[in-house]
Amino acid sequence: MATEESAGVMDDYEMLISTTDVELLKRAWRNEKAAPEILQYESSLVQRIKEQIELAEQNEEIFEANNIDPLTVSLYQMDLDRTQFLLRSYLRVRLQKVVSSGACCAVLFFGGYVEFDLLVGFGMQIEKYLFYVLKTDEYLNRLSKQEQMFARRCTDDLGSHLDETVLAKLPDNYRSILKQSITSEEDDMGCTLESLFHEIAEALNSPHKFLIRTSLVPAPRLDTFVICKAKQYLTGLDFEPEYSMEITEMERDLLTFVCYKFVKKPLENGKIDLV
Amino acid sequence: MAGQTDSTMTLFSSEEIEFMAEDEMAEIVPNLRMDSLNFICGDYGPFLPQLAAQVPLWLALALKKRGKCTIRLPQWMSVENLTRVLEAERDSHAFQPLPFHYVEISRLLFDHAREDIPDMYMVRSLIEDIRDVRFHKVETNLEKFTASTVTWKNMSAMEVNVIRAFAGRALQAFYKHDNEQETPDTDRTPNKQPQIPTDRPKRNLKPR
Amino acid sequence: MANYYDIDGILMEEEFVPVVFQKPINGVNIDESTEKGYVEQGSKTELPFWLAHELHMRQAVTISVPTCFNQKTRLEIQADAACVDLRSRCLYFYEFGCKLAPLCDKSIGLLLSYAFQIRYKEVLHKAHATAFAAASKFLMLLTKEETNLYEAAQSSMAAFKKWRMGGPRLQRASILGRKRKPAE
Repeated sequence: MATEESAGVMDDYEMLISTTDVELLKRAWRNEKAAPEILQYESSLVQRIKEQIELAEQNEEIFEANNIDPLTVSLYQMDLDRTQFLLRSYLRVRLQKVVSSGACCAVLFFGGYVEFDLLVGFGMQIEKYLFYVLKTDEYLNRLSKQEQMFARRCTDDLGSHLDETVLAKLPDNYRSILKQSITSEEDDMGCTLESLFHEIAEALNSPHKFLIRTSLVPAPRLDTFVICKAKQYLTGLDFEPEYSMEITEMERDLLTFVCYKFVKKPLENGKIDLV
Repeated sequence: MAGQTDSTMTLFSSEEIEFMAEDEMAEIVPNLRMDSLNFICGDYGPFLPQLAAQVPLWLALALKKRGKCTIRLPQWMSVENLTRVLEAERDSHAFQPLPFHYVEISRLLFDHAREDIPDMYMVRSLIEDIRDVRFHKVETNLEKFTASTVTWKNMSAMEVNVIRAFAGRALQAFYKHDNEQETPDTDRTPNKQPQIPTDRPKRNLKPR
Repeated sequence: MANYYDIDGILMEEEFVPVVFQKPINGVNIDESTEKGYVEQGSKTELPFWLAHELHMRQAVTISVPTCFNQKTRLEIQADAACVDLRSRCLYFYEFGCKLAPLCDKSIGLLLSYAFQIRYKEVLHKAHATAFAAASKFLMLLTKEETNLYEAAQSSMAAFKKWRMGGPRLQRASILGRKRKPAE
């Protein structure tokens, strides 16, 4: 019977087997896929998984050499495939988050929809966080060495692409890919624009009117809604005090639709999982 | 906020949900002798003919497809239990407890292990009925929510996944409308004492 | 804060709002028919939101309520929110309303909440229950965000049904069978 009690037993059992690295990787993968921002890179876990994959690949060769029966070999192959799928998917989701929106950048500089269509045509994913990642130390530290390198190279490529196609042709003040104009003081998240009154009036008839929009560096949207499940009962202390009005407790194993920023802290502390 | 999420990237496909379900445990009765399997995902076996063993569903299905075992129907998939669950689902607003992956597990078994399921057609139609009743409930619940944190007891993986995109967006809109119509939030500083009742409505809904 | 790269955010800010200038401004002409070359204090005109907003921040203009949030629309929404053609009034009704509310009329916020609560149920219902042909008339009434919601609900359900009917599973990419190169 699927009673409450047997459900509880299943959970304990799940806890027990959750100690395998595959289970941990699956959890990391699920969290990474569901979270709107990039999470801490699980470096030692990935390292261990890679070693186990290598070992399994070596074993496969040994099996072949020793004429182990094909059924057994194929089962080992399936296990290997499943683990590799998880690892690849995990790394790929992270890369997608790292890469930034070259497409969108280009759209805005001259407000050209043509360019937008063109880039969509190339199949470029509109991915947003690259500049943001590079600008924020906290985010940068979440990336692996390879991801950091990848992010740098992407930024450079995108930067030079924008330079060549658009920015170099603009007046000096508008050439940054981080600021919309020299007159915007904060270059990333700043949205106060203390530009001169006349500059704005001028913009009325200017083709560059998009340049007086707010920030060029998009941040991950922490107000995205996610689905999560607490591994244990959570009290108000487990959440950021800032959100004490929004969220006061969370029952164990209860599926909860919630704003990501409310549960960011317990997620980082490993107390909840995203589903 | 308009069009903010490139939702396809973060969503789980049904196939990915199925992939997770394949890690759930199943009981098999092998008809062959096979040494222990020391997988990356754990150790299983040794396997002896006629001796029941616990293995992940994917392994059970792989052996089944090669004719090396029969799969024992999980308890919750018995006609008696499903009949009871269906009745309870119809009688109550709450979701009855079923395995988190019941939709996927049952589909995998119907597809690959039909001869191991006594009363296959009965079982399948019961599960379909249960799923329909529950999906209808999900929809009714969706119509009701107006708060920015919503909890659901015993909702399954696939049910949640089907409404993820819609509910996520709708909740985000509610949250935004709720917050934007307030005057600037000067009172919401981090050192404010928690738990002080205010006139602001509590958002946590009771589990359904 | 809107995402800089959000195309809908940009289009939304193109919506016009009525403004009244609170300061005279030299070097700008809002009226094609005159040769004045300046704007007098107290002149009225309509400006795209992005500009009106900047000017408002500098106390150069006051913003009044645009037609899509006027009394007539409000009454219609109160009468039967689900049937109001918001699409033709303003494709970005909710987003535009959120931006406008603090600048001209806070009660717009309540209107948005109310309208959305009623209308999203309709969206949900139509997305899951109705064939596309029957829904297409209803879709003509929806704002951009409501359409997104509709599509989200429908495509999730379609994906689930497709999975349930069977079909290709996760397939092995041909490259995966190959041995990985030892080089890092």
